[in-house]
Amino acid sequence: MIVARREIWTARTLLVLLMAITVLPFVSLFTTALHQSGTYPLGLDWPSEPHWGNFADAFRAAHMGELLKSSLLIVAGVVPASLLIATMAGFAIGHLRMTGSRLLFLVFVIGLTLPFEGVVTPLYYQVRELGLLNTRWAIILPLIGLFMPFSVFWMRAHFVNMPDELSEAARVDGANTWQLFWRIHVPLATPAISSLAILLFLWTWNQFLLAIVLVDDPTKRTMAGALGAFQGQWGTDIPLLCAGSLLILTPTLVVFLIFQRRFVSALLQGSLKG
Amino acid sequence: MLGRVRARWRIGALAAIVLGAFAAAGCGGPGGSASTTAATTSKATASAAPTCGKGPVTMKGYFETGFPITKALTSEFTKQYPNVKWDIREDQFAVITQNAPRVLADDPPDLMRLPQVSELVKDGLLKNLDAYAKAFGWDKWPASQLQQMRLGPGGRPRGEGSLYAMGLNFSMTGVFYNKKLAAKIGMTSPPTTLAELDDAMAKAKRAGILPIQQFNGGATGGLAFPLQDLMASYGSPAPINDWIFQKDGASIDTPTNVKATQHLQQWIKAGYFAKDVNAVEYAKMMSRFIAGQGLFMFNGDWESGNLDKKMPGKAGFFLMPPADADGKQAAMSAPLTFGIAAKAPHADCAAFFLNWVATNPKARDIAVQVGGSHPMGPADAHMPPVKEGSVTASTLEAGSKIGEDNGAMDFIANATGAIYAKSWTPQLQKLVAGQQSPDALLKSVQSDYENQVKS
Amino acid sequence: MARALLDDVIDVYEARSEPRTEALPPTTARSPARPAGLRTSFWVGWLFVAPALLFYGLFVLRPLLYTFWYSLYRWDGIGPSTWVGLQNYSKVFTDPDLLKTIVHAFELIAFFSAIPVLLGLALASTIRQIATSRLALAARTVVFLPQVIPLVAAGIAWSWMLSSTGVVNQVLSHIGLDGITRAWLGDFSTALPAVGVIGAWVLLGLCTLLLLAGISKIDPALYEAARLDGAGPFREFVHITMPSLRQEIGVCVTVTVIAALASFDIVYISSQGGPGNATMVPGLEIYYQAFSERQVGVASALAVVLMVLVLACVLPIQWLTRDRDR
Repeated sequence: MIVARREIWTARTLLVLLMAITVLPFVSLFTTALHQSGTYPLGLDWPSEPHWGNFADAFRAAHMGELLKSSLLIVAGVVPASLLIATMAGFAIGHLRMTGSRLLFLVFVIGLTLPFEGVVTPLYYQVRELGLLNTRWAIILPLIGLFMPFSVFWMRAHFVNMPDELSEAARVDGANTWQLFWRIHVPLATPAISSLAILLFLWTWNQFLLAIVLVDDPTKRTMAGALGAFQGQWGTDIPLLCAGSLLILTPTLVVFLIFQRRFVSALLQGSLKG
Repeated sequence: MLGRVRARWRIGALAAIVLGAFAAAGCGGPGGSASTTAATTSKATASAAPTCGKGPVTMKGYFETGFPITKALTSEFTKQYPNVKWDIREDQFAVITQNAPRVLADDPPDLMRLPQVSELVKDGLLKNLDAYAKAFGWDKWPASQLQQMRLGPGGRPRGEGSLYAMGLNFSMTGVFYNKKLAAKIGMTSPPTTLAELDDAMAKAKRAGILPIQQFNGGATGGLAFPLQDLMASYGSPAPINDWIFQKDGASIDTPTNVKATQHLQQWIKAGYFAKDVNAVEYAKMMSRFIAGQGLFMFNGDWESGNLDKKMPGKAGFFLMPPADADGKQAAMSAPLTFGIAAKAPHADCAAFFLNWVATNPKARDIAVQVGGSHPMGPADAHMPPVKEGSVTASTLEAGSKIGEDNGAMDFIANATGAIYAKSWTPQLQKLVAGQQSPDALLKSVQSDYENQVKS
Repeated sequence: MARALLDDVIDVYEARSEPRTEALPPTTARSPARPAGLRTSFWVGWLFVAPALLFYGLFVLRPLLYTFWYSLYRWDGIGPSTWVGLQNYSKVFTDPDLLKTIVHAFELIAFFSAIPVLLGLALASTIRQIATSRLALAARTVVFLPQVIPLVAAGIAWSWMLSSTGVVNQVLSHIGLDGITRAWLGDFSTALPAVGVIGAWVLLGLCTLLLLAGISKIDPALYEAARLDGAGPFREFVHITMPSLRQEIGVCVTVTVIAALASFDIVYISSQGGPGNATMVPGLEIYYQAFSERQVGVASALAVVLMVLVLACVLPIQWLTRDRDR
């Protein structure tokens, strides 16, 4: 490639600038978290005596252990179930293509641009009638439903590329549809499924609206919802709030850093397909 | 060809099933019938006053952030009654007000901090406390203590009728001042007229001191404090109380109130408030005042204990001076209201707790020392000794002066459930930004008030 | 490893291909009307779809229909309701406070969409040349962070940075712009732009990476040829980069427009719609109307209007930027 030296340097500077702007809020949270509880530090300001204890205080005040457990439980409820039923549906619509599947697909696609606020009000009364308000099921069950449009779309996009000959051959060998699905197609779909798993994990963990509308108890919400409650309770104590926010951020950050490659490709694919 | 027709029938069948399910889901409007919202009247528990019992009880409390008195009281209660534990949730004032209807209906706590109860009573969400009042003898206390928590049927008017809330204590408001900064401008004693107050502020401004440290940010427009003080300075508190209590025909848009709002606007224009006052929340205001940034602060005695601890000897208090030299003094004085949900699981225990707060000597000590204000209860009940010259002493003293002048008012922010967040706050924030005029402000609030009271 | 990472991203595009047309297997007699698919019974196929359809129907379609239904009544969520027909809708369009929320949502599009897309384009085309360097790979991880954290966390961090003693004012003072420092989220005129900045920060990284991935797919030979012809970076951008990125730009714009119109988390946490009504957006107003003011009918009408608006914005974008080669 013919490239001018100057262009490389502009590119490098811009990239560094972009990274700096991205990281700035995190740094600001961190330095503020180290100040004495109850004070209002001036911008980015490393305190003369860092109060590392603020993190411990925030950990206790936010009941972080329980929050982690709650979020994990919710993720465990949402992600496996969603993956299973979306894969089944995607298989049916994308590969089996029975009569009416195109219409059905359209029905799912309608939900792709649906903002959650559009359904949260009736959802509240519906969940109330089911007696599930203030439980984790109040978040798990609606989320599975709300994730279906994207998940079915995603899995269908994978199954549409599976050759019919593969399944014909299996049928000739005597496999019924379920065996065809479970033994042959699911293993082949693993990359698509794992990318979807990452996306659903992220979206569940960061779910806020459903958590604050349907669940009052912060220890039964998602991490993001619990952060909202934490801000409600301690929001007037800025250093503590910053410490708590950082703690609540940490699990997603850690998971992200470990699985970065998969994350980035999954998120990019997700936007393109969605 | 036949296949396609058959396929269409199959789809049609499926669609019919699905649509049928939806149609069956409901004809007619949503919501229950009128009978499900009947206000629960508490059955009078005959002779024995309710208690918390002997078995383990976990009380659900939903309190306001930033009031250490509530937690101090519940901890002390658990010490005296170890079988009662507290599961406490806290939120800020605005969020509590927003969440109140939903939480009381669907996730009722036993005890909840409720700044405004008219609409909640209208919807039957709060327990009627008349039976408890009789059982515990609350109606033998000075009537003015409970007056603001009485509501007529349907939630209005206030000031008479059944008791729907109780207070942990009743507060007194006025003007706190920084004694050190006051000395700097030569203010040796609190101002006795509005003109003297204006004078002191002008002197402070010239000396480079911020005259007023006030909050007006977020969803809570704290300029309502000085505004109401000015209203009472210029006029009598009775019409203001009528408006707050939703009496028929009451209006906030009166000539003296217009004068008061204009006076507030003068303070804004003269730069007596911080430049970023529209972004200063309550906690920030406190933090700044304690750090010595600001001569005056319009606040209430729930902070007396806090100020005595954080700036001992440096803070003073005085009641808002009247416009005329010999005018009567008035102040906002309201109980720190708490309600018991109509569907509360442990209503009796909650009522017992409220009674304990007002009658137990140790609880009364905490109310004064941590809460800084006067506990509810009989006029001759135990009062802890208060340090001379402390802010708490000043605010307690002010309480008796107001009693003499009959100048107690509720807060204009409490007139209806939404008047503070939806009317006063945005209007006051606009006034600060120069986007609203005093008479238009009052007209707008009055019109919102009438809409909300009507519905 | 660099190549591998880039390959991953390029794979994204290979996977986005059309369904293959099926050749009819010669040994089976089929009626021509039968759709090309595996020979399975109608009911088995629907059984596979049933669970997904059940959840979707119960927790999305049913509430959706109920939203329409609620919007025709006046209801407080507890007691009985009264039929009001389209009155709630007329309230949405005539009440200045409610109408303003919709205006604000569109104003936010300028920040949530225009900035990430335009800035992302500029950044991506500049960074193109070093797309495989180690710096770019590190950047890929860092720049993605805003997408990974909850929006609430972004809101909290930025609320603090935008406060009167926050980093933003600190930086402004350092470069001598002391005069314009203020509490950005508390000032009537700057509150909405401030919220917009938060959204732009969240979405910039995603757009930049997406566009960068798209640019990486462009045949470098085209650029070489342009260079040989003496074209500078700007002409390169207009004539080579932009046309090839149509799909990616479409995706960026769609995702960001939806984020702007449906915004809730950020506004709830940073400004709660204030000061006054300066940053109130439809998403937040629906929440307040339904659960705080107990006007379920108005909330539902606003929700319907919001959904229609989202569709009205997204469909044209999708149509304009769809792959013309299909």
